[in-house]
Amino acid sequence: MPASSRYRDPGHLPNRRPGRQPEPAEALPRQRAGMTPQMVGRYPEYDVMREMDSWDPTTRDVVEDRLKPSGPLRFFACDEVASAHAFCDTVTAQHHEPRIPVVAMIDKKYAAGRLDGFRYDDMPEDGETWHRALAGLDAVARQRYRARFADCAADVRHAICEQFARGELKGGVWDGLNCKRAFSVMMRGVVSAFYSHPWAWNEIGFGGPAYPRGFMRLGEGVREPFEKPEAVSDDPVREAAAPRT
Amino acid sequence: MTAVTQLLKGSIRPKDNDSAWLLDPRRRGVPNRDRTVHHSESDEVDLCIVGAGAGGSVLAQRLARAGWRIVVLESGPFWDPDRDWVSDEAGSSKLYWTEPRVIGGTDPVELGKNNCGEGVGGSMVHFAGYAPRFHPSDFRTRSLDGVGQDWPISYWDLRRHYERVERELPVAGQHWPWGDPHSYPHSPHPISAGASRIWDGAIRCGIEMRVGPVAITNGVMGNRPHCIYRGYCLQGCKVDAKANPLITHLPDAIEHGVEIRELSRAVRIEVDGSDRATGVVYIDRLTGQEHMQRAANVAVAGYSIETPRLLMLSESARFPHGLCNNEDQVGRYVMVQGAPQVAGRFPDEIRYYKAPPPEVSSEQYYETDENRGFARGFALQTVSPLPIAWAEHVLADGHWGAALREYMRDYNHWAVLGVLCELLPQPDNRVTLADDADSYGMRVARLDYTQGENDRANIAYAKDIMRAIWLEADAQDVLTIDRYAHLIGGCRMGFSPADSVCDADQRSWAVRNLFIADGSACPTQGSANPALTIMAMASRLAERLGSRAGFRAPAAAGAG
Repeated sequence: MPASSRYRDPGHLPNRRPGRQPEPAEALPRQRAGMTPQMVGRYPEYDVMREMDSWDPTTRDVVEDRLKPSGPLRFFACDEVASAHAFCDTVTAQHHEPRIPVVAMIDKKYAAGRLDGFRYDDMPEDGETWHRALAGLDAVARQRYRARFADCAADVRHAICEQFARGELKGGVWDGLNCKRAFSVMMRGVVSAFYSHPWAWNEIGFGGPAYPRGFMRLGEGVREPFEKPEAVSDDPVREAAAPRT
Repeated sequence: MTAVTQLLKGSIRPKDNDSAWLLDPRRRGVPNRDRTVHHSESDEVDLCIVGAGAGGSVLAQRLARAGWRIVVLESGPFWDPDRDWVSDEAGSSKLYWTEPRVIGGTDPVELGKNNCGEGVGGSMVHFAGYAPRFHPSDFRTRSLDGVGQDWPISYWDLRRHYERVERELPVAGQHWPWGDPHSYPHSPHPISAGASRIWDGAIRCGIEMRVGPVAITNGVMGNRPHCIYRGYCLQGCKVDAKANPLITHLPDAIEHGVEIRELSRAVRIEVDGSDRATGVVYIDRLTGQEHMQRAANVAVAGYSIETPRLLMLSESARFPHGLCNNEDQVGRYVMVQGAPQVAGRFPDEIRYYKAPPPEVSSEQYYETDENRGFARGFALQTVSPLPIAWAEHVLADGHWGAALREYMRDYNHWAVLGVLCELLPQPDNRVTLADDADSYGMRVARLDYTQGENDRANIAYAKDIMRAIWLEADAQDVLTIDRYAHLIGGCRMGFSPADSVCDADQRSWAVRNLFIADGSACPTQGSANPALTIMAMASRLAERLGSRAGFRAPAAAGAG
């Protein structure tokens, strides 16, 4: 009998678990092919970059560019960089290397003056929102823990961000900034950066660019030859021994 | 023999639009662009159109065939899909109008992606591809349901044009039982695993769905190939399978003498002392230089935000609050559709990134049913977010950090269902000018939006129906996002200058040689995606204009 994915059952989904939080990261399958953020992923044998030769040249350039080392930061000021990293790491749960360079990607966008096309009437420009909110996170951390936001432990940063997401931060910067909307503006930038990165595509098993090749197998449970099966187990030894589908 | 082969190849050829046959089978884009006729600015052309999107392109193509000399000003670039478009989500943001705008009201509408486009082809370059017609009832909501506004034209005025545009796009789908029942020129596409799940759940809920209607080739049409089911409809179709004016109307327009002037940002419509438009002032975005194109007639087709903005920017002593705005109607009655989406989770891999996002839909809830407790209704449609859009969906349900990562890793197990709820026109849902300026020093648009009670009840009901479908489909978990789609209105057509900006011929009440040729002219929007209707309206407008000799020859004094 072929091994079936351990993820057929929805028990791992945050909505089904206490505190709407997933299993600890240590329980996740380890990546074996290609790169993923923190080398965890649902598709251990899948590396989207192996398909690069099937992409059109324009798309290939755009995607490859994301894998190149980024230059010095130009948008974030020196004293903001630590907070920016701490915030982005917290809201994407990137607690160790290898990390997708979210801060560098956001920095590049704002330094180039690229906009998203709208601003809420009670909000400053998106770039200014980042500056103010990072200062605000630092102020909250200093006031409560006498430490910079970046120097707080992960669970403390998570708790502060929880209040940030709910719009519950008060005082100082936060009295002049719509807290909930600021979180949404910043998260829009964070997820756009994180999930444009091929490492994230490996982690989630996304097919990636598909021109001029396209897809032929649209049915349930069927895969293109280059798509890989989901992890069957969280134990790499047992997994390696399991019969392949 | 050659003639027979041509006869048998691909779908029915439209009678008077050769666009698909003018394309190059070996590369994408518009191969006859280098044969463009160039008009001098001082030469008064018959028509200057602002915006090369759904409305402007169809109008240009039709009237060019009737012999009109036309210049189309387009703010964005003339796309070369091979070179400019990518099979990538983040890399496609240049397709959207991302310049500054301000949003307000109780329920602000987030702009940027998912509305107005930038570049030749307009927002249809990044529209999903659904191409349903409006229902006959959409044109009479005030009379039938006591809400919204009646149109000065009826469904039957547009019907022939719907049929004509459906052949040109072409639209693929099953026979359509709702509204005015009709069939489509291309047969329905195969559907993916996600759409099958939705279909099964809907049937168990007693909801009928149909495959389509989508403006995506299912077979060869001229030199346009079959869809390759790559799933990047919203990122610009590099295949040339999904319809957009760049390939469906402009090649034919150019062949008949239309000049598309790219990177030309219209900033003002000039009017003479007798309230006639004399041309359009625009900025060449390469040089920053201001120019004016003289024209005997002007048509504005810049989307529901930029169209009212351009009129308001064109203020003068005669029109102190903006052109055509002495009755305070410009920018009012802007509508969006409530477009929440609910995702369902399944044990097996769905891999929804394969196949086009628009697959199956239903208009069973389109019309008013008093038992639901609100007027008008909604349409159900499949959607299939790529990773960034899926992350925004997960985020909207309240998950970030490790929980966000976990739902993202679960991506391939989900299918997503969306609705389009008809939201009613309100005078204070309006485009105005903000104090902020764009990079050319022009004041940017501000959009205020607040839902009414009927709107809220409609959206809540539609979300319940989506959850019911997932329950019946045995989904293991659901995630919900609230969002909007499809702006329309802002310069609506009506019965008098007191209730509208333009008349039944989309001709502005105040400046009789100025036409509103995009979705801004729509008084209501139903729960149908508006692209097909905007094209059909432009097709009808062209027919009306072409049949009136007075508009055409600019030399004929006192024309119109």
